[in-house]
Amino acid sequence: MSEDSVAEIRDLRVEVGGRALVDGVSLRVPPGKVVALVGASGSGKTTTGLALLGEYPAGARVSGEVRRAPGAVGYVPQHPGAVLHPALRVGVLLRDIARAHGRDRDDLRQALADARLPEGEALLRRYPHQLSGGQQQRIVLAQALLPRPRVVVADEPTTGQDPETKRQIAERFAAVAARGIAVVLLSHDLDVVRALADEVLVMRAGRVVESGPAERLWRAPRHEWTRRLLDAEGVPPADGVGRGVGGVLPVGGGGVGRGVGGVLPVGGGGVGCGVGGVLPVDGGGVGCGAEGVPPVEGGGMGCGVDGIPPADGDGIGRPVLEVRDLTAVHGRTPVLRVPRLVLRAGECLAVVGRSGSGKTTLGRCLAGLHRHHDGTVLLDGVPLPRSLRHRDRERLAAVQYVFQDARAAFDEHRPVLDQVARTAVRLRGADAHAARAEALDTLARLGLTGDLPHRRPGALSGGELQRAALARALLARPRVLVCDEITSGLDTVTRRALLDLLAGLPADRPGLSLVLITHDPQTARLAQRTVVVEAGHVTERAPGPLTVCCEVGHKGSRVKSLEGSEAVVRRLGRHRRTRRCP
Amino acid sequence: MSPGSFVARRLLLGAAQTAAVVLLVFALTEALPGDAAVALAGDQPDPARIAALREALELDRPAHERLADWAAGLLHGDLGTSLTSGRPVTRYLADGFGPTLLLAGLTLALLVPLGFGLGVLAARRAGGALDRLISSVSLAVYAVPEFALGVLLVTVFALRLAWLPPTAVGYGTDLLGHPAALVLPVLVLLARPVCSLSRLVRAGMVDALAAPYTAHARRYGVPERRILWWHALPGAAAPAVQQLARTADWLLCGVVVVEALFVIPGLGTVLLNAVAERDVPVVQGLAVVFGVVTVVLNLGADLVAHRLTPRAGAAA
Repeated sequence: MSEDSVAEIRDLRVEVGGRALVDGVSLRVPPGKVVALVGASGSGKTTTGLALLGEYPAGARVSGEVRRAPGAVGYVPQHPGAVLHPALRVGVLLRDIARAHGRDRDDLRQALADARLPEGEALLRRYPHQLSGGQQQRIVLAQALLPRPRVVVADEPTTGQDPETKRQIAERFAAVAARGIAVVLLSHDLDVVRALADEVLVMRAGRVVESGPAERLWRAPRHEWTRRLLDAEGVPPADGVGRGVGGVLPVGGGGVGRGVGGVLPVGGGGVGCGVGGVLPVDGGGVGCGAEGVPPVEGGGMGCGVDGIPPADGDGIGRPVLEVRDLTAVHGRTPVLRVPRLVLRAGECLAVVGRSGSGKTTLGRCLAGLHRHHDGTVLLDGVPLPRSLRHRDRERLAAVQYVFQDARAAFDEHRPVLDQVARTAVRLRGADAHAARAEALDTLARLGLTGDLPHRRPGALSGGELQRAALARALLARPRVLVCDEITSGLDTVTRRALLDLLAGLPADRPGLSLVLITHDPQTARLAQRTVVVEAGHVTERAPGPLTVCCEVGHKGSRVKSLEGSEAVVRRLGRHRRTRRCP
Repeated sequence: MSPGSFVARRLLLGAAQTAAVVLLVFALTEALPGDAAVALAGDQPDPARIAALREALELDRPAHERLADWAAGLLHGDLGTSLTSGRPVTRYLADGFGPTLLLAGLTLALLVPLGFGLGVLAARRAGGALDRLISSVSLAVYAVPEFALGVLLVTVFALRLAWLPPTAVGYGTDLLGHPAALVLPVLVLLARPVCSLSRLVRAGMVDALAAPYTAHARRYGVPERRILWWHALPGAAAPAVQQLARTADWLLCGVVVVEALFVIPGLGTVLLNAVAERDVPVVQGLAVVFGVVTVVLNLGADLVAHRLTPRAGAAA
């Protein structure tokens, strides 16, 4: 192994059942640098990352060379919850690791602090399910740092996180790298890659199609696939200015900045803020476009400035769903307060907020999945039973829910079509034959054609399954469709396609009201109205583009307050110049 | 849901189940064809005897009054008096409980380490020679019913080899003073539960050892022994604990076959005699006690399992 690398892979090929998961992959990890592997799901990132840990899928045939510096390699998997023992307090494994590596209490405390868990010692007595996703990830990072590794492999650390959390995660890994520990980042989240990576390897179908320094790759992608990947992140404005100037630094007020959304949504925000909080009639359009979605033409959703109702919303249709005086609790702790919230027919409402803010609880209250609240949820003016156990078929059908994890929402042993069709039979009393025909039709409209519907969930990709889940909910002919983070966890290309589908839904199903629970600004932009959930409190935001502006202003100030850390400044440096919010 | 509310709800449910047991036992006695007196009179229905029995049983009073009296007695620990001997039912229970408790205690003390140990051992090398040996032997032993195994053991070790006494006849209730008499009954009692428990533990351990959290602990060099007993076992233990409660219940409620075979004067023998003599109050008393034991043991197992699966009940 060459002097200046802590891990190296040469010509790695991993084959399972005659199919190559990765083929001919080579990479070098210098100390203290961040090497990013990017690519869509299934491109071989995780297989490569696990090879650095010396782990391969069961029954894999491996050829090539993997070398690493002596010492442990840390690993932060995509779902930190899965590697935490559900029945053990999280402190148990941490102390075991400390013992196995001869570390003492102080080292443990230090590792927790390095993982940004200064209050960690109190958390050690908790069970994993009593921690938030972010805390779980930090515990797993502390486990990784405790043996003082030379390399940490982080698999999709920002997937499914809101922008603010993403920024914190990026900052956490920047700090790790600043301490001389190399970070191998496996991600399809280009924002975090851009914020962190020194070297980037673009993977596709198990091969590295392009690699090089991050700056160069963004400025001048050589491979067609890289270009497509970068494009999908933020659809460039129609005039294509962004591409011309290079995109990394949005120049001037044009607010082009392809791919600026995400970790540090800065570009267009500056413009919107310039308008100074006035309802952005023109400037808003710019802000919106600058964030990477072409304004208005979102497929009949009336995204952007057109058709936004006044904040009290008496425009679009009559109220379908109304929430009154709702206080939801977990145990005895109140987690959500909604004095009043009205959803009208044909309306699309975005519910945004950080993870843990209570936005999912709101969705679950609507759908009858969370019965511990004391408010009223009215459907057409008639109170809905709190628990879905007490809702009859008609009312079950009226409010449908699509979950974030589509794979977990399907029975893996039955074909997708059967499960989709079942909704019509169960909730509408359709006969099996008609239900099947309707399911096939709906699936086809959502782009699942051919033999895809007849396969089992295991043979479908995450994006395909999410469409199937959408189709299943639609087969109930719902009045209200609650979509809970259905685009997070998907790679950029797939997410884009799903967003287009969502945008097209109202035209296809007149009168259907959508509730989009999300922290993804792109998704939220589909909605005419946005409510923000913050620490359990729901407030209605001024519509559309202004939202983006305010969020950026807020973000900007937060980033500034964090500038104490040298490493962060260095890492985030390339974005700082564009931050102009007051 | 908070753990406190789970315990409270589970305790309430246990109380309700106990009340249901008492009601059911009473209702079943009421449901005897004719009435208890006719049933007691047996094959020679002598009208004078039936009348005497009716009076003794106070069957001429309305059912709800008798139920209230009986239930009130239960609350004070008064289970009524035996029809055949006139002794209080509680004395029967007290006499029989000692030997049964001794047998059950000894069996459980051996069962827990053996069942868990064999299960973990088999799971550690799943598919290996030791695993296959343990699995096939345990399946074979499980297939042999208690009475057959008991007769076999008595024939070999007591009658042929004369190493151990064939029965506990003559030792009364002082079995602890004659440990040799306990060996064969405990062996018979142990045989099947060890098999079922170790197979359950093995299945759970195989899953737990393949789980991502186990791989994660290995990744950072946590010693295998520690992983096996501390990380993998708790996840595997939840179903085993439920099974253990069922076994304890089975043991404490007097294993009729084994007690009869080895002539041990435990609860099983008391039950057998009471049924043979149609001594309804004793049978009723035993039924109530067995019911309560079942409720209490399962309550305990649920609480332990709840601790082992802290996530359960967190969903809607």
